[in-house]
Amino acid sequence: MMQNVKISSYQFLVLVFFFTIGTSILVVPSALASYAKQDAWIAAIIGTGIGLLIVWLFTKIGLWFPDRTFVQMNETLFGKWIGTVFSLLFLFMNFIYAALILYHSGTFLTTHIMPNTPMVATNILMGIIMIMGVRLGLETIARSSEIFIVVFFLLFIILVVFIAPKIQIENIQPVFEADMKSIAEGSLTLLVISTVNAVSLLMIFPAFINQPKSARKYFFIGNLVGGLVIVIVTLLCIMVLGADLTSRQEFPSYGLAKMINIGNFVNRVEALMGALWILCLYFKMVLFFYASVYGLAQILNLKDYRPLTYPLGMIAIVLSLAVFPSVVDQHIFDKTISKYFSLTIGIALPLLMVIVYAIRKKRLKKDGQAS
Amino acid sequence: MKKQILILLIVSVFLTGCWNRRELNELAITMAIGIDKVDDEYLVSAQVVVPSEVSMNAGKGAAPVTLIQEKGKTVYEAIRKMTKSSPRKIYPGHLRTLIVGESLAEEGIGDALDLISRDWEVRSDFYVAVAKDSTAIEILNVQTTLEIIPANRIFNTLKVSEENWAATVGVTLDELMVDLLSDGKEAVLTGIMVTGNKEIGSSKENVATITPSAIIKFDDLAVFKDDKLVGYLTEDESRAYNDIIDHVKSTVGTVSCPEGGTIDIEVLSNKSKLKGKIKNGRPEVDINVQIEGNIGAIECSLNINKPDSIKTLEKLYEKEVENTINHSITSVQEKYETDIFGFGNAIHRSNPKEWKTLKKQWDEHFAKMTANVKVDVKILKTGTVNNSITEKWKD
Repeated sequence: MMQNVKISSYQFLVLVFFFTIGTSILVVPSALASYAKQDAWIAAIIGTGIGLLIVWLFTKIGLWFPDRTFVQMNETLFGKWIGTVFSLLFLFMNFIYAALILYHSGTFLTTHIMPNTPMVATNILMGIIMIMGVRLGLETIARSSEIFIVVFFLLFIILVVFIAPKIQIENIQPVFEADMKSIAEGSLTLLVISTVNAVSLLMIFPAFINQPKSARKYFFIGNLVGGLVIVIVTLLCIMVLGADLTSRQEFPSYGLAKMINIGNFVNRVEALMGALWILCLYFKMVLFFYASVYGLAQILNLKDYRPLTYPLGMIAIVLSLAVFPSVVDQHIFDKTISKYFSLTIGIALPLLMVIVYAIRKKRLKKDGQAS
Repeated sequence: MKKQILILLIVSVFLTGCWNRRELNELAITMAIGIDKVDDEYLVSAQVVVPSEVSMNAGKGAAPVTLIQEKGKTVYEAIRKMTKSSPRKIYPGHLRTLIVGESLAEEGIGDALDLISRDWEVRSDFYVAVAKDSTAIEILNVQTTLEIIPANRIFNTLKVSEENWAATVGVTLDELMVDLLSDGKEAVLTGIMVTGNKEIGSSKENVATITPSAIIKFDDLAVFKDDKLVGYLTEDESRAYNDIIDHVKSTVGTVSCPEGGTIDIEVLSNKSKLKGKIKNGRPEVDINVQIEGNIGAIECSLNINKPDSIKTLEKLYEKEVENTINHSITSVQEKYETDIFGFGNAIHRSNPKEWKTLKKQWDEHFAKMTANVKVDVKILKTGTVNNSITEKWKD
C-alpha cells in the first residue's frame, strides 16, 4: 500500500541500540539504586539478560509475517475488529510514550540547564524536530542514527575515561546484599523501559528491513549492547556517587558527569554530556512517534502517513505539557501504571498472538498463499 | 523548499539570544557563603567578588570582595532577599567554600544543606567547613594576602594542606552528603577560625602589612553525630582519623629517639586498609597502615649509618603511629560515641547480614568495639646527607 521503504540490518541495529538506552540511561540508575542499593548493577545485568528472551519472542512473531507491520499482524491474527482494537491500544501506548519522552527531555533541560525557560519552549523545539524526522521518513531517521551513533560512543567513552579516576570500588560492596525481591523489582523496571517497550519496533521489523533474517541477529546485538551501556552507567553511578546519592538524584548520570574533574582543567563538561542524553531521548521518541503515526495510517487505510504527523505531533506536544501536574506524579506513573500498561502490550499481547497463531496456523498459511 | 527556508528564517528571529541570559555584569559571583543561626532565623552571608577590583588593570583600592548579609526563615529566602541590598543577583555557580557557623552546626546542618544540594546552579565540588568558636560572618570578613579573594585563599589553603599535612582534611559537599546519608559513618568537617584582631582583619590594613593582623586558619576536625556538631578532635586525633580513612598523601611524622631528641620522617606514601569482621558475635575492625618515607631531619644522636638503627627507627615510628591511632579511637569512642571512622561501613561490607541487626544501635556497638591496629613502616632513604652534623659534638 504505502511506499516501499527499506533500511539495512546495520541501521536497524543502531535504532535498536538507541531505543534500548533511550530514557533508561537518564533515569534507570536512580530507580535501580532505590530498589537494589549497591546491587543495582546486578539488577541491570539480570534485566538485560531477560530482555534477550523477550527480544527472542518479538523476533519469532515478526518472522512469521515477514512483510507485515505489527498492526497488520494483529489484523491477520485476530480478524478485523478485535485486531483493530488491539492495534489501537498499541498505538495509544506508542503515542503516550512519545509524549512522555518529550516531557522527559523538557524536565531534564529545565531542571538542570535552563531552569527559567518554560517547558513550552523546549518541548516545541524538540517536538518540531520529532515531526520533521518522522515526515522525512524511516530511511532518513535510520541514516541519521548511523551518524549519531559515532557521536554517542565518542561522548560515552570520554565520560567513562574521565570519570574513571573517581571510582571507589568499596561502594559496590557488599555484593549480593539485596534480596531477590528488590533485585527482581529493579530488573523489571529496566526490562520494561528498555525491552518490553521495544514491541514498537515490530512496526519496523521485519517489514521495512531488506534482510529480515539477518536483522533478527541484529535485534539481539542492539539490545545486548544497549543493555551493556546501561550496566556500565549504573556501575559508574554506584561506584562514583554511591548507592545513597544515586537513588537520591533525579538524573544520576548527569550528576555523574558533574563530577568530572581532571586536574582542575577538564571540568564542568556536563552540558556537553547532556547532548548524549538528548540524543538517546530523541531517537527513542522518534521511533515511538513513527510507530504510532504509521500504525494509525494503516488502520485508516491512508495512502500516506504524513498528513497525520502535524496534528498528532501537536497533540503530543500539548500532551507532554499537560500530562503530569508535577514531577512527583511522573514518578508514581513510572512506578505503577506505565509498568502494567507496557507489560500488557509488550508481553501479554505478543503471548496471546503466539497462542492464536498456534491455533490458526494452518488456515493462515493457506490464506497467506492465496493473498 | 524556499517556503521552508523562509519559515526557518522567521522562526530564527524569535529564537535568537538566550532565553534567560544573564550577562557577567549582572551577576554577583559568589565565592563563599556563610550560614549562621541567630534567634531562630538564618543569617546568610555571601562573599561576592567586586570585578573591577580583581581585574588586571588594578582597581581603585577598594576591597576585592564585599559581604552581603541577610536574615531569613530559610536559607533560600535569605539568599533571595539579598537582592534588597544588592544590585546583582547571587550567582553561586563558582562557590568555593561554605562556612557553617558553630551555633548552627550544634543545632544541625541538615536543613540548611538541603537547598545547597537541591539548587541547580550550585555544584558540589566546594569545601564545607565549620567556623570554630565564631560565626561564619567573622570568617568571611577577613582580607587575605597571596590570594586576593579570601574564598580562594580558603579553598587553596585547604587543598594544599590536605595534600601535605596529615591532620587536615577537606570535605566537599558530595562527601559530606555521603557521610550524612550513610548508616555506617558519621560526618566530619574541618574547623576554620580567625586569629588576631578581627576588626582590622576586614580592612585594607590587614593586607598592607607584612604580618597580617588577622589570619584565617584551619583548625582541628569537627565531629558530627547525625547532623549535629558534638566536638572537635585534637591535632593527633585528626591525624589518626586521616590515617584510618586513608586520606593521607604526604606528611611529616616525628619520632622520639631512645636517648632523647627527635627524628622527623617525611612520609611519602601512607596507605591504610580498613577491614571489618565479627569475632565471637562482636564487631571488630582490622586497620592496616603501610607507611613509606625518608628521614627528613635528625635531632638526636642516632647513628643512621647502621642498618640496625633504621630498623629501630621503623619500629619506633610504628609504635608511635599505632599509639596515636589507638588512643584516638578510644577517645572518640568515650567522648563522642559517634562512628566518624566508618567502622560501620566496614562491617557492612564484610558482614552484611549481621550489620542489619547491628546498625540499629550502632553508636553503642561502636563505643564498645575493638580495633586491631597494625602499622608497617619502611624507611627508604636518608635525604641528601647521612649522619647529623650535631653528632660531632656529642662524643
